[in-house]
Formats: sequence, structure tokens, C-alpha cells
Amino acid sequence: MTKYVAKRILMSVLTLFIITFVLFVLIRIMPGDPFPVERMSAEMILQKREELGLNKPILEQFVNYMSMLLSGSFGNGTSLYNGAPIKPIMTACLINSFKIGVLSILFGTAVGLAIGIVAAINRGKFLDGLCTIVSILGVCIPSYVFMIFLQYFFSYKIPFFPYFFDPSNFLASSIMPSLSLSLFAISTIARFTRNEMLEVMNSDYVKLAEAKGLYGFELIRKHVLRNALIPIVTVIAPLVVSLLTGAMVIEKIYGINGVGKLMVDAIAGQGVDYNYVLALSIVFSALYIGAMLVLDILYGIIDPRIRLATKEG
Amino acid sequence: MRTLLKEDFEFISDRDISVDENFASQGYWKGVAVHFFRNKFAVTGLILVSVIILFAVFAPLVSSYTYEQIISVTDSSGKEFIAKSLSPQIGASAEQNFFADRTFLFGTDDMGRDLWTRTWQGARVSLIIAFVAIFIDMLIGTSYGLISGYFGGMVDNALQRFIEIAGSIPTLVIISILAIFMEKGIGLVIASLLITEWIGMSKIARAECLKLKEREYVLASRTLGAGSFHIIFKQILPNTIGPIITQVMFSIPVAIFTEAFLSFVGVGIVLPQCSIGSLIEAGFGNITILPYQILPPITVLAILMLGFNLIGDGFREALAPKLEDM
Amino acid sequence: MRKILMTVLLLVTMIFTGCGGSDSAGGNSKLSVMLGSNVVSLDSANATDIASFELIADCIDGLMQLDSDGKAIPALAESFDVSEDGKTYTFHLRDAKWTNGDPVTADDFVFAWRRHCQKAEEYSYVMGDTVACVKNADAVIKGADPKTLGVSAPDPKTFVVELDAPVPFFPSLMTFATFYPINEKFYNSIAEGSYGTSPETFLSNGAFALASYVPGAANIQLKKNDSYWNAANISVDGFQYQVVSSSDNALTSFKNGTLNVVSISGNQVEHVQQDAELSKNLQTFPSGILQYLSFNQDPKNHHAGALSNVNLRLAISNAIDRESLVNNYVVNGAKATYTAVPVNFAPNAKTGKFFAEDQKKFSNVVSFNVSKAQEFLAKAKAELGKDDFDLQLIYSNDGGTSTKIVQAIKSQVEENLPGVKINLQPMPKAEYLSNVTSDNYDLALVDWKPDYDDPMTFLTLWTTSGCDIAEHWSNAAYDKIIADCTTGDLADNYDARWNALYDAEKILLDNAVIAPLYTGSNAVLISPNVTGIEYHVAGVDRVFKNVKLK
Repeated sequence: MTKYVAKRILMSVLTLFIITFVLFVLIRIMPGDPFPVERMSAEMILQKREELGLNKPILEQFVNYMSMLLSGSFGNGTSLYNGAPIKPIMTACLINSFKIGVLSILFGTAVGLAIGIVAAINRGKFLDGLCTIVSILGVCIPSYVFMIFLQYFFSYKIPFFPYFFDPSNFLASSIMPSLSLSLFAISTIARFTRNEMLEVMNSDYVKLAEAKGLYGFELIRKHVLRNALIPIVTVIAPLVVSLLTGAMVIEKIYGINGVGKLMVDAIAGQGVDYNYVLALSIVFSALYIGAMLVLDILYGIIDPRIRLATKEG
Repeated sequence: MRTLLKEDFEFISDRDISVDENFASQGYWKGVAVHFFRNKFAVTGLILVSVIILFAVFAPLVSSYTYEQIISVTDSSGKEFIAKSLSPQIGASAEQNFFADRTFLFGTDDMGRDLWTRTWQGARVSLIIAFVAIFIDMLIGTSYGLISGYFGGMVDNALQRFIEIAGSIPTLVIISILAIFMEKGIGLVIASLLITEWIGMSKIARAECLKLKEREYVLASRTLGAGSFHIIFKQILPNTIGPIITQVMFSIPVAIFTEAFLSFVGVGIVLPQCSIGSLIEAGFGNITILPYQILPPITVLAILMLGFNLIGDGFREALAPKLEDM
Repeated sequence: MRKILMTVLLLVTMIFTGCGGSDSAGGNSKLSVMLGSNVVSLDSANATDIASFELIADCIDGLMQLDSDGKAIPALAESFDVSEDGKTYTFHLRDAKWTNGDPVTADDFVFAWRRHCQKAEEYSYVMGDTVACVKNADAVIKGADPKTLGVSAPDPKTFVVELDAPVPFFPSLMTFATFYPINEKFYNSIAEGSYGTSPETFLSNGAFALASYVPGAANIQLKKNDSYWNAANISVDGFQYQVVSSSDNALTSFKNGTLNVVSISGNQVEHVQQDAELSKNLQTFPSGILQYLSFNQDPKNHHAGALSNVNLRLAISNAIDRESLVNNYVVNGAKATYTAVPVNFAPNAKTGKFFAEDQKKFSNVVSFNVSKAQEFLAKAKAELGKDDFDLQLIYSNDGGTSTKIVQAIKSQVEENLPGVKINLQPMPKAEYLSNVTSDNYDLALVDWKPDYDDPMTFLTLWTTSGCDIAEHWSNAAYDKIIADCTTGDLADNYDARWNALYDAEKILLDNAVIAPLYTGSNAVLISPNVTGIEYHVAGVDRVFKNVKLK
């Protein structure tokens, strides 16, 4: 197991390296200059590109970038926030997005699992139908529309929550965005839980357990949930990453200074700030790869059959 | 004693005794269809989706306006009036304003276009985008996931690393690069959906495959000498269809939302073309003051999603009838 | 299930339509102001956007400032002298302090100006020969020794600028953020690249100081600067900015009382106008932004060589109903414009009349006249031997208004000019800029914000060597007039220069290099308890120095 995990981590680092290279090349193909050009003459643009080292061969640029990354820096922005060092700014944004993201994951997973389990146990009855509707509505309404609804009713009609995000009043002002963000997670998780549970509940060994006299919560927890969890974990892992990496529209509406907004600013501003896009993408990828790594290891813990399979392979 | 003639004999094989007419067997898909149509929810879903599709196909054809027509009248002094932001109305001859005699079932948008026509036109565009993109995604994602899950080891490792690389390029970056080579519009949206959405599908397929490949029937099949691809596509694939269809049903709203997000950042459907996503997007800007503008597209989306989900459930249960035994 | 769903939707409709409540803005004791977009940079050398310039001007005073009428009055400079030939300005500084206690000296200006030229960011062009004409600025921008720049500080309270040519609007230029000082000692004491990224790394000498700010912040808090030279006249203790990107959101937050000052557009303006209570708070201010269609006239342009034909351009320009655009889709008080310089902009120093006062001046080439447009089109078809024109119109869709405008233009042009097709291509700002500057478009919707209060801020756009949004149009006579008026013979003759600029504008519009559309406007909701916010068309958009809260 340790050897497998070590190998897996090594692979992940290698993957991250390749990703960095691919992103590095792709971002340089993107249309748009890395700095605002509206009022610049052609000469000034050339001069500026030279200053940023953009006229060097791409491999040389990449080597420079990697050596900078390895020294623990993401460099400076090319235009955003007057070319200040990226790391502190990005960290601050990441923390904001993380806080909201963690809240919505907790909320989404708890409610989603609960709805899914209740629906599966009451299959075909009224509660099942209600759960289905709740989970379908969740995927029908875009989270930002839901966010506006919440904002309209709970900070305008009934001024209960602050109208905009306020870091000094974190808990009260993060409920609405995390609630709207968790909507999609709730419905995805609920539906998957229900389907997987039904599948497992119908399997022979559960029937055997039932025949042995196990019933109720004990049966669900010991025999059903454990087996139903594998595909659910597959759904949750990418959800976690996408929730942690911020929601561009909601962050914009609610005034949260998070990474989603930072990414939009870096791409859709006056210029494409290469270094911000690159730094953010690398961090997102690292998160994603990390999540996949954890997922694979979790697989082994939850389902011994998979561990066996990898040993053979 | 009479000699036996040829006519006295008949071939016993002419009478097909192997056919049991009391308990006729059914084809696999016929069985699925029977199970499916026996399910009231599934049929409701099918009806809902069909109604929307019918409207999407025919409503724009028979409407008195085109989806991109800005409706206006010019009064005697030559001043032009545009029928913009009218709430839903049914034409009446009483002349209160210039458009009192016209019917706008869903009202008009803030450009002065008929929302009824635009909603159905949008539904049409969104359905096309979603179907094309998700169908191709399903083909790619499922095969990819099954192959990756079945072979395991090096193959799985390589394929999963590729997914990690592909999955970690931000959508906005991919799209703006694609936009260099393609015109903005439906094609670009489909292409970007193709690039980003198949990964989820392959993950589900892989997880299912990991679960199934250790089953006895796969082992039996392998012992009998079946090739890998035979096992993957003939033995494992049919058993993964349930989760995959569920995933397809979830991918359709994701496809429509992604499209809406693309219009938000300026690379989606090109106006005055419209889609459900871009209509929601447009209505979103006026949601508190002109709420009727966002309601039709959201309602259509909700009905579509409800329908697709019910169909998905129906299919799932019909494909694996064992669930009905419960 | 469908029934339940429909009931829910119906309920939602009812709640929404039933709750058109018109809570008037609450008497919030703290001033909260909407900012339409993020502040990109607090470093005056890097700032390129309206929001950044505004925030910098809140915190830092320049040599001059704009009064409520938009005239330049002294700020840090107590007075200034101009030499006979108009080429040397000597500013006498007053006693002012940075927030860390250092006095503001002429060296702070010398440092900032040299640094701006040396850094050669986007706005360094205002130092150069098309605008301020500071001696050697262009050379320094291209890499010469910054010490050669024509600025000097003979003593800590005297700042001398030498110019290459007399610039009639030089004092009003000094209100622009690029010309503001930076404390050199402080700048060198903080980590490289960290200037202006937090309240600790930013020094103010103006009316307000940063209380809370991080790059990209959605909420920015300002506090009154007690060491400001004019602190006695600042009546608020501070205020906050909130970044709000949607007009709908802005309106609700105003009704809610969360924000006291918000900008709204389009539908929200109409909504407010229909509401008796709310409409009392509505005010409109011209923004000086000119919206125009740029025609790419490069004959080699792969899909639109046709636009090098002047008649086709004239046809399109005359087929657009600008009044309809403004009244139906922009709505916020914008004015249809038929000149290359926006209305309500650049008053003549002697007569006080705006440069583009007479909107009919070029009505023979810029107007809405379908029959004339079709005549032009017929000529174009004959000259080009083509009947169908497929043109691409690119625009940056960062707001709702431009999306509506381009759709209306498409609809009008296609209806009025049979055979002309317009394909809309929306794109993010950076991609849009890269396309317009790299010859990769047919038609582009451009908005240009004046940087200083003179027609030249627009007219220099279309010289051969001018701005990078290149229409690929070049006219020797036009270039000569502009050159004469900036650094040439006409520079010091106010009336002759003014008239020459009209000649240049005529050349421009006769050739239909662009099709002007409208002059932008700000529709603003201001709480009744807030007074004294000053809006300007050029340079700094809003000034809060005289703001009062009741």
C-alpha cells in the first residue's frame, strides 16, 4: 500500500509538471496581450514584450518560469494590480473561496446524502417523490439565479443577511452564497446516493443480511452505505474541487474577493494577465490532482476489491 | 398389406415444437420498451420532453414574428415605437397603446422581440447543442472510462494522467484558444462542451468498470476465451448503462448551463441568436424589475430537466428490471 | 409533480410581481458608493481604468484639481507661472504633507514623472508629444536616461516643467492621475512591486487615506486624512466603495439602503423613471465617452476589403438611427452624436461653447437618412461590382448596453441596406483589444473615454501614427493639421488651432473613417442626504472632496 501511494504521488508530481508546461504554452497562444494596449504604440508594445521576456524562445521562458516556481514564487502580474507579487494576493483570494467552498461542501454533502438515503429507503412513496423534485429543482435553477432570489428576499425584502459579502461578518454573510453554491452538489449527491443505494439494496448479499435478520439503520450503515459510497465519492471529489475553486458569477454578484473573480479579472480584463492565469490554473490543477489522489487512495480503503486489483495490475 | 407410400410420411421437423406459444419470448429491447411504458413516471417524462420538442420545432415556424425581429410601429409623426419590455398580454382591440392589439404570450424582451418565439427558438438551439454534445461525450467518455478501468495498471495510469492534464486547463482558456480557429457561435459552444464534459462521463464509466470487472461472469467470459474488447463492450458496457444514462440526464442541464456561462463571459451563442442559456442570462440582468422575462426560459428548462430525469429513471429501471422486483 | 412545479413557479411570479415595493433609500449614516468595476491598480503609472483613477484621486492630490464646473484650480500648487513662449511652467507648491509626515516636495513630482516615462506603461503616452509634450518624454519612454526628462526641482517647493510646444490645456492636464506625485523615500522603503497593494504600502497626501484595501477588493474603505492641507473643508469622516457589476443589483442595493450612490443603466433607468418616489433621486451626468463604429479600411483585410470604399462606409453611417439607439436601448441620458468629438465636451476657453455644440455641422455625411444611405450603397455596389457585403462586427461584451446596441445596429443596417449583412462577434475585452489592434476585424464598436478636456484626445486617434485601434486610414492633410496643432505653428494660436481642428474633423467625417453613435452618460441614483459629488467628463470621473452627508 505505501509503495502504491508513493508511486501515485510521484506520478501526480510528474503530471503537474506536464500540466504546467501545457498551460504555459496554451496561455501564450491565447488571443489578447498580457497588458493593456489600447493607448500604446506598436513600438511601446514591442518594448513591453521584451521587458517581460516574451520574445525569448518559449522553452527558455518555461525554464525561467519553472526555476521561479521552484524557488517558491509565482512571480509578478503582468498588468493586474500593478504587477505586484502574485502569491499573497492569490492566497488571500483562495482563503475567501475556500471558506465559502467548505461551507457549501459540508452543507451539500450532508443534505444530499440525507435526501438520497431517505428517498432510497422510501422508494416509490411520497417522500421519494418529494426528494426527487428537490433534487431536480437543484439542477434546473442556475446557482446564480438562486443567489439573486436569496439576496432579493433575505437581504432586501426581509433584511436579515447583509446585502454584500462582508469579511468582518463572515458567518452571516457567507450563508447565502454557500447555500446557493451547494444546490448543485445537493442534487447531484442526492440522486447518485439514491440510485446507488437502490442498486446495492437489491444485491444478493443485502438480501442475505436481511434474511439473517438484520434490518433498519444497522443494515443500511453496515451493508448498503459502504458499497454505495464508491460511486458517490467519485461525484463528490470533483465537486469539492469545483466548489473550492470559487464560483465566478456568485463571487461577482455578492462581492466576494475570491479566486473565481480573480480568474475572470485575469482573463477578461484589459489584458490577459498571463502570470495570474498560469498561477491560478496551476493551483487549481494541483487541487484537482490532489483530490484524485485522495480519491484513489480512498477507493482502496472503502472497497478492498480495488486494492486487490491494483496489486495484480 | 399396403405398401407404405412416400405420402404416408411427413417430416417431423416441419412442425416446430421448440416454439412455446403460451410463453412467448421477447427480444431484449422489446422488453425494455414494455417495462418503460409500463412506468407512469417515465411516460410522463417522455410526454413533457416531447411537448417541449414539439413546441421547439413548430412554435417558431407558426409564430407571426421571427425570433430576431424587433417589433415596432411608426406613428403618423414618424416617431418610432418599439414593443420593448411589454409584459405578457393577449391582444385586445381596445387601443390603449400601440401594441394593445398584438398578442405576446410571454411578453417581449428589452430589445422589443417576442419572447414566445425566442423561448422556443432558444429551446431548439439548446436541445440541439445538448444532444449533439452529450451524445458525442457519451461515446468518447464511456469508451475511455471503460478501457481505462478494464485494463488498469499502466494503461489506466496513462489515461487518468491525460484526464488530469485535460481537465485542469480552465474552460475559459480552452475556449478562447478554440475561438482563434472557429467562428463564435453554436459550433464553438459544442466544441467546448465536447472538450470539457466527457471527463465526468468517463469517470463514472471507469468506476463502474472497476466494480464490474471482478465479477464472476466477467471471469467466466474470460475463461471461455473472450477478447478484452468483447468483454468491455459486450459484457461490461450493458451493465454500466444505468449510471451512464443517469449521468447523461445530468449532463444535459450542465451543457445548457455551461452554454449560459459562456454567454456570460462573451463566448457563447452569438446574438440575436438565442438559447435557453442566453435567455436566462438576458433575463437575469432584469430579474427584479422585469421578472417575467426570465420565467419562460427557466420554466422550459425546469420542465425539460424534469422530463429528462424521469425518462432517465424509467430507462434505468427498464434496462435493469431487477429493480422492479423490490 | 408537474403541478407542484408549476405551483412553485406561479408562486414565485406572484411574490415577485406582488412585491414591487418602493422602499426609499434609508438614511444610512455612512456613505457607501458603488464602483462599476474593480480597481486594477493604485500605482498611478499602471492605472488604466476609471475606477483606479478615481480612487487614486481620492487619496492623492496633484498640482491642480478640477472644481465643480470642471475648471482646473490649484491643488498642491499654490500658483504657477508660464513663460512667454508657453513652453515652461513653474509651479509653486504649498505646504502639504504625506500621511507619514513627510512634506510633499517638488522631488516627489520629478520622481513620479520620470518613473512613469521610464516604466512606459499604457498611460505614459500622456507625457509624450501628442498630449503634454514634456521635453524628452518620448525619448525616455523609448529607453533614454530618465534624467533627461524636462522636469526639475530647483528647490523643494518649486517644480519646473519644460515642454516641446505650448500646450493650451496643460494646467487641466495636471488634474490627471498620471501627473500625481509619489513619495520617493517611501517608495524605496517598501518591497519591490508592493507599492499600492495595501493601506501600509500606499501613501496618501489627499483628502482621504486607505483604511482597508486589498488588490481586487470588492469593498474598499476610505478614511478622512487629517493631515490633508485642506482637511478643514472635508466634511465626511470617510466612505466606502462597493464593487457592483450588475445594474439590477445596484438598483436593489440602493432601494435597500445598502448603497447611497449607484449607477444604473437601460431597463433600470426606465423602471426608476416610472417610480415617482425613486425618480426624485435620479440624476444624469454626461460621461464624455464617445461610442462609435470603427471601419477597418485596410484593402487587404481578408474579409472586408470592401470597407476601403468610402461610399459603403457612408451608407452604413447614414443607415443608423442614432436617436432610436439612444432613446430605446441606452436610455441613461446618452445623446445621439453626429460629430467625431462628443457633445458637452471641450468648451472653448474664450466663448465657453462646447466643441461639438453644432451637431448639424456635418449632417451631409453623418445623419440618419435611409434614402441617402441607399444612394451611397448603390454607388458602392457599382464601384465594387459586388451586391452582397458580409461584415463582421466585433464588440467587447462587458456590459448589457453594448450588447443591445450592436443588435439594434445589425437590425437597422440590415433592414435599411439590402445586401449588407452584419455578423456579431462578442468577445472578452482583452481578445477584443487584440483584434482591433491587429487588423482583425471589419467593424468594431469602440468606446473612447477622453483623458483630458480637449478635442485632441479624440482627434489624435485617427492620425497615421495615432492610437493602436487602426482603421488603416491615412490622410496627409489630416496628419498635418494635427501635427500643426500639437507641436507645430498653430499650437500657440488658440483661435486658429480651434478652427483647424474643425477642418480636421471635416476630413475625418467626409471620409467616414468612423461612424459616431452617441455620447455616453451616467444615470446615477443618489440618496437625498448626500450632496456635493462632482462628476467630470475628462480625467477623473467623480470627485468626493466636497461631499456632504446630512
